[in-house]
Amino acid sequence: MARLVLTRLGAFLLTLFAASAVLFLAINVIPGSAARSALGIDATPQAIARFEATRGLDRPLVVQYIDWLGQTLQGDLGTSFQSAVPVGPELLLRLPVTLELAFLAFLIANLIAFPLGTIAAARHRRGADRVFSTLASFLGAMPNFWLATLLVMVFSIKLRWLPPGGFIPFSEDSVQNLKLMIMPALSLGLVSSALLLRIMRASMLEVLSRDYIRTAKAKGASEVLTIKRHGLRNAAIPYFNVAAVELGFLFGSVVVIEDIFQLPGIGSLVLVGIINRDYPVLLAAALAITVFVLLANLAVDLCVALLDPRRSKGSQA
Amino acid sequence: MSEGFDFYRWRPVIFGAVIVGAILICAIFAPLIAPYSPYDLDYMVMLQGPSATHWLGTDEIGRDILSRIIYGARISMQVAFIAAGIGLIFGTVIGVTAAYFGGITDMILMRFMELLFSFPAILLAVVLMASLGTSVLNAMIAIGIVFIPGFSRLARAATEVVLREQYVESARAIGMSHARILFREITPNIVAPLLVEAAIAFSYAILLESALSFLGLGAQPPEPTWGNMLNTGRGFMAQSAIMSIAPGMAIFLTVIGFNLIGDGLRDALDPHMKD
Repeated sequence: MARLVLTRLGAFLLTLFAASAVLFLAINVIPGSAARSALGIDATPQAIARFEATRGLDRPLVVQYIDWLGQTLQGDLGTSFQSAVPVGPELLLRLPVTLELAFLAFLIANLIAFPLGTIAAARHRRGADRVFSTLASFLGAMPNFWLATLLVMVFSIKLRWLPPGGFIPFSEDSVQNLKLMIMPALSLGLVSSALLLRIMRASMLEVLSRDYIRTAKAKGASEVLTIKRHGLRNAAIPYFNVAAVELGFLFGSVVVIEDIFQLPGIGSLVLVGIINRDYPVLLAAALAITVFVLLANLAVDLCVALLDPRRSKGSQA
Repeated sequence: MSEGFDFYRWRPVIFGAVIVGAILICAIFAPLIAPYSPYDLDYMVMLQGPSATHWLGTDEIGRDILSRIIYGARISMQVAFIAAGIGLIFGTVIGVTAAYFGGITDMILMRFMELLFSFPAILLAVVLMASLGTSVLNAMIAIGIVFIPGFSRLARAATEVVLREQYVESARAIGMSHARILFREITPNIVAPLLVEAAIAFSYAILLESALSFLGLGAQPPEPTWGNMLNTGRGFMAQSAIMSIAPGMAIFLTVIGFNLIGDGLRDALDPHMKD
């Protein structure tokens, strides 16, 4: 087990390192664009040269990257081109907002997908299966920002139950916090539940067709007991693998959803970075989201390893 | 297929094709179908609800919403086809090359693909748009790049199966060149799964394009896209619900259509799904 954790951790660090290089290159792919966008299109070549020289943007990309990486490793994420404020503290301030949103959304997605997917599989090709499968294809085809808009129209404008946007920390006023978070979390979670429901249904169907299930049933175990004992644990492995991907997708979608609900998280910081062409801000925010995604994958990898019945019998790894 | 056409098996594909076909016709013949110009403003009829003259009402400066949605189909479809095309072509080339040459080529190419795969698609697209600049062409490129890893994985797996076939061995034995084997023997035999993936990529491209233009990173106003129409609609939710409902419905239906085709094709072509 220790070896498994170490190899996965090593792979995580390597991927993170490579991912940071990809992001750095993607953002700086057009030379001079940072200066031109910060200074405006009619900036003189001299002004651009000065802007680049003071920020070290005139050096080769590789040198810039190594320099940036060194600073980042020391916890210095650079300063904003626009406001000259250090990016690191700003990121830390916004971190809890995004984490809470993603956590709530992921919770909602799983609370829907896990039970409904299981029921759909147990009721294969019968009423409940058809209803839940159709629901999943409808939810999966909805853009999350459209669902968000519809929720605001119904619950904020028509019914006036929920505020349309804004943020209050959970520690200050937990009720108000949840009131503000529920619609963003639903917009992300409902859409994510679609894929998860389909995966849960498919992997449960696969498990239910196996020999050991037939044996359990032949021995007289009830359907509920069979699913509980044998089905859930085995079906959960492919499910959690997809859930990790979906969690990554959730972290990406916060860019759109935080913007709609005016949540001051890392996703909206990505947009701030783009709109202001503030590359240090954009790079730091995008990297933070990537770290979450990779961490989610790592966590799921380890959970799956623990869950796998073939591994828990004291075998290798 | 010898037992004749099985309508039941192909039903989802047909439904999907009808939806997508209708939207494609809108996109291609937009000037003939749209009742009004998508750009003409009319301050006499701002923010109206559905009526006999404007079936889906009018927007904040009196433009006909139905006409804008019909024209919006053009950009969505163009972006979807070209982005999926970029993903398909580059992904196939990378996947086939990796599988065919194996070894270090395989490792480097596929590791890089895995790396791209580890970014959330929307984040990667948004970052690429930021550095490429906002335009329809760049949206196509950004979304296309997002698709490359998925296609390359699939192409690699399919190629590995084909490589074990005898006709590839014979082609090698008679001294065919690498290029000839790749294009004549391998590519035609991996097309089917890639096309199924392409149908699913279309629906995803529609979603990504609309998200980008919703964020203001796609086609710029006054050019109508479903995404930027939804974004504008957000400002008028209290006055006009249709501005926020209609473009979303267009995205929703298009995605459902492509999903029906993609999932339906996969099921219909999958030998395990036969009952």
